[in-house]
Amino acid sequence: MSAAPGERIPHWPLHVLLVVAVVLTIYPILWVVTIAFSGNQSLAISTLPEDPTFWDRLRAITPWPQTFSVSNFTSVMTEQPFGRWILNSAIVSLATTVVGVFLACTAGYAFSRFNFPGRRTGMMAFLVSQMFPGTLMLIPLYIILVQWLGLGSSHIGLVLVYATTAIPFCVWMLKGYFDTIPKDLEEAALLDGASSGQIFWRIILPLARPAVAVTALFSFMTGWNEFILAATFMDQELMYTAPVGLRFFVGGYSQQWGYFAAGSIIVSIPVVALFLFLQKYLVSGLTAGSVKG
Amino acid sequence: MTAPALQQPSSQQTPPGAEAPRALPPPPPAPPGAPSHRLRFAVGVLVASLVVTGLSWMLLSRARAGAALALEERKATVATLALADLVVRAGGSGDGVRQALAAWQQQAPAGAQAKVIAFDGLSLEAATDAGLGAPRRLQRDEKPLYDQGQRLRAAVETNREESVVRKEEVEIAAQPDGSLLLAAPVELDGQVRGMVEVRTPRVVVAPSPSSGSAGLALLLPLVAFFALALVLGERRVGLALAATFALALGVGFYAWHSVSVVVEDRRAASEEVADSVRTQAETARELISRLGLPADPPVVASSWDADAFRKPRGWLTAAGQVDAGVLAGRLAQASGDVVRALVAVALLALLLLQAIGLGSVGALGRTLVTHRRAYAYVAPALVGMLVLVFFPFFYGITLSFTDSNLLNTSRPLTELWVGLKNYVDILSDFDLSRTSADGARVANYTNFYWTLGVTVVWTVTNVVIGVSVGLLLALVLNTRGLALRPVYRVLLILPWAMPNYITSLIWRGMFHQQFGVVNHVLALFGGEPVSWFETPFTSFLTALTTNGWLSFPFMMVVSLGALQSIPVELYEAARVDGASRWQQFRAITLPSLKPALVPAVILSVVWTFNQFNVIYLVTAGEPGGSTEILITQSYKFAFEKYRYGYAAAYSTVIFGILLVYGVFQNRVTKATEAV
Repeated sequence: MSAAPGERIPHWPLHVLLVVAVVLTIYPILWVVTIAFSGNQSLAISTLPEDPTFWDRLRAITPWPQTFSVSNFTSVMTEQPFGRWILNSAIVSLATTVVGVFLACTAGYAFSRFNFPGRRTGMMAFLVSQMFPGTLMLIPLYIILVQWLGLGSSHIGLVLVYATTAIPFCVWMLKGYFDTIPKDLEEAALLDGASSGQIFWRIILPLARPAVAVTALFSFMTGWNEFILAATFMDQELMYTAPVGLRFFVGGYSQQWGYFAAGSIIVSIPVVALFLFLQKYLVSGLTAGSVKG
Repeated sequence: MTAPALQQPSSQQTPPGAEAPRALPPPPPAPPGAPSHRLRFAVGVLVASLVVTGLSWMLLSRARAGAALALEERKATVATLALADLVVRAGGSGDGVRQALAAWQQQAPAGAQAKVIAFDGLSLEAATDAGLGAPRRLQRDEKPLYDQGQRLRAAVETNREESVVRKEEVEIAAQPDGSLLLAAPVELDGQVRGMVEVRTPRVVVAPSPSSGSAGLALLLPLVAFFALALVLGERRVGLALAATFALALGVGFYAWHSVSVVVEDRRAASEEVADSVRTQAETARELISRLGLPADPPVVASSWDADAFRKPRGWLTAAGQVDAGVLAGRLAQASGDVVRALVAVALLALLLLQAIGLGSVGALGRTLVTHRRAYAYVAPALVGMLVLVFFPFFYGITLSFTDSNLLNTSRPLTELWVGLKNYVDILSDFDLSRTSADGARVANYTNFYWTLGVTVVWTVTNVVIGVSVGLLLALVLNTRGLALRPVYRVLLILPWAMPNYITSLIWRGMFHQQFGVVNHVLALFGGEPVSWFETPFTSFLTALTTNGWLSFPFMMVVSLGALQSIPVELYEAARVDGASRWQQFRAITLPSLKPALVPAVILSVVWTFNQFNVIYLVTAGEPGGSTEILITQSYKFAFEKYRYGYAAAYSTVIFGILLVYGVFQNRVTKATEAV
């Protein structure tokens, strides 16, 4: 409770509650780490004997591997084409970030600074496009990218789709931030003889660095975590992205939980780190778009 | 404060859209001395006629080229199948085959070449090219020929076994030099025992349509418009009608021209094929009597005019004459296609004409020039969105009015048009149960309203869980002076940071009936293992657990941010006034949470409604599609049942629901703000 100063309430029940919440929260993560370091492909932590005692059962849910081994990590990178899949994901996500941030910055700037016919319509259209169901777009996108443009199983096709899917959120986010940058700065620069391009690149973008960082994070995560489109467009095993590859380990009749767990950890570390680093901006960005006052 | 204070975004101080943007460029000046209506309409007629004539000329020349190629293929097929027929009658190998080939070559066009392969003994039985030294064994570098023969044999056998004709029995390949290479099987007593290969002489390129008629089609509307404009003067409506009439005149003329060209081409082509069929048949009869080959079954020449599956095309009578009735039907169909294509082009041109004539294009151009900087900044993103978001969206909507599925994707959408049938099928099916094969009533989980119900329950329960857990944890974490607060906060936020497809697969593993951790925990407390994915309710619970786990941190972080922005003085003042803890919560905490929580709830409703990954990867709709939500159900219709049109209609309904929700929530938020 938002206890006011001077009024002390005992903290230990709160700690109990929080510890329980934390245990429940991180248990699945500990579980996947345990499977990853177990060195085999089973999804059980330990094998139960015929007539298990209480301690056997407790052992089976304790997230600590019976035998410690990094073999899952080494074989997922060497025997399986997982390294290649990570590389694909990295290429696609970085390119998505570059393209997405560029498109969103220019558009966001125009929406924030210029008053032109179609401005309101454009912004509303961007907003409404967020409601388009993915499944409605999948078939046409497949026809356009694979059949018309011949970009099936290529990095470029995915990058284009991811960058455009990320645009509406990024544009709204950046527009909101550009709105807060005082106009006087630009007017002063104009008086000093700066061109419109110089103002945008030299003044506005550096000032908007936090918002650009969030936009970049969002674009990167769009590319890194996306699953359905990649699964639909990438039909060559060599061109899978990491999410499609991970699903390949445990989807259908395949039950390679060890590879899956090791791969999951490798894939998650960069995004989790980035996320924890930038999350406070992300939250503000998510809510800023629709909060008034 | 030990915790890193959650910064309130500076953007909230000046919210987007709250005030009109202060524009840099001045308002556009009024255009000085706009050009006269007559001039504008004249330009419109010129441009529209150019577009219409240019496009239709291109379409016509492509159609003619296509028809010419199709004719060559037909003639070549006739020659190939006739040869195969002769080879069969000659017994597939031996001298008879070589004589048959020689006779065939007599009447074949100069430059045509053929080879006859027999599988027994892997031999090249006969060849028109004397230099090949037939008959002899096939050489190593002729392996592809043999492979092709085996492929044809496999195709024939597959088609016969499945009694569905889907593998090509005649292979036609265009060669780089413009000739065609055909291969057809030689069937003896129902077995493919060899192959004939025919190489046609170079295909002559189709003649371009005459530019004279195109020129006339261009000139006609202009002349007509000028004549009418002289009479009409500067009357806008009159000019618009005159321009439309002029354009129609040009289009009508060119349509008449195109139809007559196409019809003439087709008629000539049929005659040509019929001729070649009759010649082949005569050769065959002559050869049969000369060599004393079996005349039974009798030669049916028209069966040689066949498609790639060796099915007769049906244009010819048994005697090898053009079937007038069939021809008339096909000609009507062809001219219908031409007219339809031209009408589409003409409508496009008419739109352009009126846009230019009525001044919209001019106005548009001036706007673009005045605001060129703004448009230059927006253009890259806008083009991307148009091509990869808006166009697919409208294409998807169009698809929803068709019966498009896996088998007919190559046909134009106009042929698959079914109107509102898909929507009616989806929305008017109220049968939540149906009678199964053994007469029992079973629930119909693919019913739209069942899935809609599941989706609503799914969304509401998830949002309630997310908000309550998130808010509770936020209130606890906001306690002043609580030790270890940053540690708790980072650990509790982890589920949000994890990619959700990984989370989903992890939970799917943990709910495994035999090895899953959840059942181990149940066993630890004496419970029986549950087959989670075998009843709708437990299966739903697994998805709910997963999504609850990954969605509460968002609510927690949002609430925590709002809580930390409440000034402490408010609480102090309240306590001075003697307010109780509950009163403080009601009067201070809740109202301060509202501006942050309302948008967060709105967002999370949309997210949960469309939460594809969790349902698709955790329950996969099990058992029997009962835990499917709308978005996963439409995916299954598209990519597991391949009913593209139906799936598109289903997705459009989803979009409709979201749109109604969006408008509704917008009203509600506006109303609450006004209070």
